[in-house]
Amino acid sequence: MRPGGRTSRRRHDAFRAGLAPALIVLALITIAPAVFLVLTSLTPLNLTLPDTAWDFSTPLGNYLDLLDDPRFSRSVWVQVKLSVATVAVQLLMGLGVALLLNGDTPIRRFARSGFLIPMVLPPIVVGIVWRVMYAVDISPFHRFMDWIGLPVGSLITNPDTALMAIVIAESWEWFPFTMLMALAALQMVPAAPVEAARIDGANGWQTFRYVVFPYIQQTMLVAGIFRLIDSIKAFPLIFVLTDGGPGDVTEVTNYYAYRQAFTFSLWGYGSAIATLMVIGIFVLSWAIDRLTRAADAEAG
Amino acid sequence: MPKPGDRSSRARRGALRRLRLGDGATLVLLALVLFPFVWLVQMSFRPNTDILGYELAFTPTLAHYRALWTGAFPGSFVNSLVTSTASTALALLIGVPAAYSLSRGGYKSARHIALWILATRMAPPIAFTIPFFLAYRFLGLSDTRTGLILIYLTFNLALVIWMMKPYFDSVPRELEEAAWIDGCGTWSAFWRVTLPLSSPGLAATAVICFILSWNDFFYALILTRTQASTAPVAIVNFIQYTGWEWGRIAAAGTLVMLPVVAFSILVRNYLVRGLAAGGVKE
Repeated sequence: MRPGGRTSRRRHDAFRAGLAPALIVLALITIAPAVFLVLTSLTPLNLTLPDTAWDFSTPLGNYLDLLDDPRFSRSVWVQVKLSVATVAVQLLMGLGVALLLNGDTPIRRFARSGFLIPMVLPPIVVGIVWRVMYAVDISPFHRFMDWIGLPVGSLITNPDTALMAIVIAESWEWFPFTMLMALAALQMVPAAPVEAARIDGANGWQTFRYVVFPYIQQTMLVAGIFRLIDSIKAFPLIFVLTDGGPGDVTEVTNYYAYRQAFTFSLWGYGSAIATLMVIGIFVLSWAIDRLTRAADAEAG
Repeated sequence: MPKPGDRSSRARRGALRRLRLGDGATLVLLALVLFPFVWLVQMSFRPNTDILGYELAFTPTLAHYRALWTGAFPGSFVNSLVTSTASTALALLIGVPAAYSLSRGGYKSARHIALWILATRMAPPIAFTIPFFLAYRFLGLSDTRTGLILIYLTFNLALVIWMMKPYFDSVPRELEEAAWIDGCGTWSAFWRVTLPLSSPGLAATAVICFILSWNDFFYALILTRTQASTAPVAIVNFIQYTGWEWGRIAAAGTLVMLPVVAFSILVRNYLVRGLAAGGVKE
């Protein structure tokens, strides 16, 4: 049966009608704000000074200021440290737990659900959970350290350890994500080559490194980039645990942009920082797209 | 030949022992990882006189939960429920037909739309909040549930399209074509044939949208004050007013996480796909 020209055109119109509302809404809530953000970043907008709205006399002023703002460059450095540390810990922990859970026993199936909990908790609750752990007077951790005779001071008020405290909490929250992705990849690894390596006398580490790992490395890379991108948005944990302090040792770029706009009312300046963040994140997303496309091509 | 049999039974016993060892290690690790979370839950039942205690034996009390009931917390819980549900429903209403059209329409630009959606998922919330905050001041949407529902669409709509399109791709077209021949229009065939076949995916998508909206802290912190503040923001508010009243904070935290923990165990098999949205090969 040849589809009639008129009905197929009607169907085409129907599809267009189905797609149009979503694209219009998506444009209104994503593209319009993006344009608005970039425009704002070209003005010195400050809500306490009404004249500053739509003042495009020095369009690149905010960006030039950013170049010699030591607090901004420090925030980028804090971000780099936080991102590198959390992504590394999450990949190692996620992969380790996934290897442990890769057997099919009732206990491990149960544990797979249990390990998910940190990731799905509301971020504010994760913040509270760790705020309790880091509160010297009530924390079971601090009590335990006292009891074994190695008392530790507060981790979140000490400038040397505050960032590490955030890294621990953030890694705890998000290792289930890399674990899930690693588990999914491990379950796709064919049994035959693993068996063959074992028969050939490879030990556990060799089998993992040379047989299993090549199958999962692509997934781990993608998981890592996803976590890297999300680590740039870290907010609730820092808000609850340290508020960017002590001083500015845990003030990541996202937090700095938030402060500039919402605390100091420097909207133009905050927008410029946010614009730079969007650019950075898009470059990373582009890398993901390239990687997944390369992987698809490889898979045939 | 007794020898090979011997060896294989020894190997089997060895494998069994390794399995048990692995199970044991799994349980120990699970207990360690969940310890901070369990600690918060038990704190919410501890009487105020013993809030700092660590003995396992204590008389549980609901006093903290009762104290929450009288404050501003129940209202914020309702706000959370309303905004999350409404935003999820709206995203499904607009996003599901779009996902189906993308799946069946044979558009050349489908790849660009997919990239646009991925970019939306990746963009930092601060980039949305600044323009939305300024726009809401003019539109009178600050501190309203409508304002929150709209901004939650920025992630929910993209997620619905991203998750539902592969489901529709996997439903055979022949079934719809049969319905078309029987006289169904495009959308009634979709409604009667394709959508019921994709209902598990639809349910999982709805649950993930709900969880993401429910968990939001950043948008609600900035776009609401008192009227429309959601439960996560209410917790922070009363920390700011009354200081760190541990029992009450623990109780509020427990209440806020209850729905998401329950829901996510229901849809755990779909979680990776939803949260990774695009990173996992279909």
